[in-house]
Amino acid sequence: MATTVVAALPQEYSGGTLAREQVSLWRDGVRRLRRNKLALAAVIYLAILVVMSIVAFVWTPYKPNAIGACETYTTPSGAHPFGCDELGRDSLSRLMVGAQLSLAVGLGTALIVLFVGVTVGLVAGYFRGPVDSAISLVINIFYGIPTLLVALVLYTLLGPGLVNIMIAISATIWMDMARLVRGQTLSIREREFVEAARASGARSGKILFGHIFPNALGPIIVQATFVIPVAILTAAFLSFLGLGVAPPQADWGGMAAEGLQAIRYVPHIVLAPSIAISLTLLAFNFFGDGLRDAFDPRQKR
Amino acid sequence: MLTRGTVVYIGQRVLLIGFTVLVVSFGVFYAVHSLPGNAFITERVHGQALQALLHQHGLDRPIVVQYWDFLRSAIHGDLGQSFVIQGEAITPLVIRELSVSMELGGAALLITVGLGMLFGVLAAIRQNTWVDYTLTTFAVIGYSVPSFVLASLFVLIFGLWLHDVTGGAFFYPLVWTGTYGTLAELSIPALALGLYTSGQVTRITRAAMLDVVQQDYIRTARAKGLKPVTVTLRHALRNAMVPVTSILGPLVVSIIAGSVVIETIFGIPGLGKEFARSITSHDYNVTVGVFTIFAALIGVANLGVDLLYTVIDPRIRY
Repeated sequence: MATTVVAALPQEYSGGTLAREQVSLWRDGVRRLRRNKLALAAVIYLAILVVMSIVAFVWTPYKPNAIGACETYTTPSGAHPFGCDELGRDSLSRLMVGAQLSLAVGLGTALIVLFVGVTVGLVAGYFRGPVDSAISLVINIFYGIPTLLVALVLYTLLGPGLVNIMIAISATIWMDMARLVRGQTLSIREREFVEAARASGARSGKILFGHIFPNALGPIIVQATFVIPVAILTAAFLSFLGLGVAPPQADWGGMAAEGLQAIRYVPHIVLAPSIAISLTLLAFNFFGDGLRDAFDPRQKR
Repeated sequence: MLTRGTVVYIGQRVLLIGFTVLVVSFGVFYAVHSLPGNAFITERVHGQALQALLHQHGLDRPIVVQYWDFLRSAIHGDLGQSFVIQGEAITPLVIRELSVSMELGGAALLITVGLGMLFGVLAAIRQNTWVDYTLTTFAVIGYSVPSFVLASLFVLIFGLWLHDVTGGAFFYPLVWTGTYGTLAELSIPALALGLYTSGQVTRITRAAMLDVVQQDYIRTARAKGLKPVTVTLRHALRNAMVPVTSILGPLVVSIIAGSVVIETIFGIPGLGKEFARSITSHDYNVTVGVFTIFAALIGVANLGVDLLYTVIDPRIRY
């Protein structure tokens, strides 16, 4: 189904001067994405971030948790580009390790949301009737409660840990994905090729995952991209309130919170992680926007 | 207009809100009581002393019994007592804090909707010009900068760098003198709270306006010779407000969640700060009480939004 965009052009164009090189939806999308300067800048930033966090596994300028690597609250200098925190730990090293955590939370949550949201959405949209009503009711209840605070309570309940953070956050943002997939499923299941598949004796599972899911993939990927910044933001929010990963481990929200008490004297200690979080969220949002414009041109902003 | 149908509808919704609040409060109650550790974990009491303390507060009974007890008092307006602040009754505490939070949240909501719609309309009527690009980019930046980052930045700017200019009018964390903060004191926290969500309003207003101005009745209005301002504000904006209204509910939810962080940073004695404190200090009775109030607030806000639809778009009836 990936080639339908060009293949669907009316017959008379194919031989005339209007004909253009046949490209797949993906190649076409990538081409459009590359023309979007903001999205391109976002991709470059994210690539640097990924490389940095991979490097941080084997090398950081200083040991991220080493207390007393420098004077408490050292101001930024050549040796410590982002200064040091209240325990004399090098901020750059901690930012690098924090990047790992943020990316892990973002991607991990996106995967969980993808799995739960797609499954629930497909089932609700395909089987309709009472199944759909029940699922929609649950979705609406979730929308009605302050989800960030649910994440807070859930996380306190589950206890610290990376996976628990992801579960707590997923529980609060899976609904958008489920609703999107449900809507897509409802419209795709009425299309002829689904009817054809059903007529040729395909079972529900085959129709769902072999026919409906691939055709809804574009919007699903775009939606998943937007889950990442929300997850990173929520994780930062939680650790800002002191509910992040266990203490010596560096994470951006926690760094910003720890620095807050000294913000009057050494603003850089708050600004460095704050800027890191903001730039990362901005990059993911611009990338998601670019992705949507490139791969899902029908959808309006 | 209050027809019979509307009254029945409101009645049903109020019942539903009651039900949701009940479910949410039990959920939180169950969650916090099954947490490892308890409010007395910091007092370093063990064994018999701990058992006695738990017994004294009725914490050794089955959870359902405890919840029933909580519910019976709650109906009479008594949310129990704080574990941590000895002898502090929760009901008067949260009522005092609610008024502070309502003031902050109301200001933030005004900023969000006001700024968001203004920017959205401007971006739409100048579509594909630099105004449009600047405002839409600004909107993305708006919801990419977490409210606590914005808050820290504002503390820096207004509390520190502009300290001499403002004559110390914005000294954060706030030194709270009365029940209500002054307008000047609250304006900066409200801005930090409201800007984050205003980006979403901008986007939705812009999209809705672009959608509406293509419709026939707008052309008719223009053809009639009405001034562009009249067409935009009275004809287009009114209909573009329906989608904006639909996100008011989620906006209230995110403002309530944001208030937890903002109130903590600026030192505002509201429900949000209380919630953060109660979570980190294991003051579970307060957690349950505040959370229940949050759930009720959101329910009422959603009902208000649904009734607002009927005002904005008279075709919608219940």
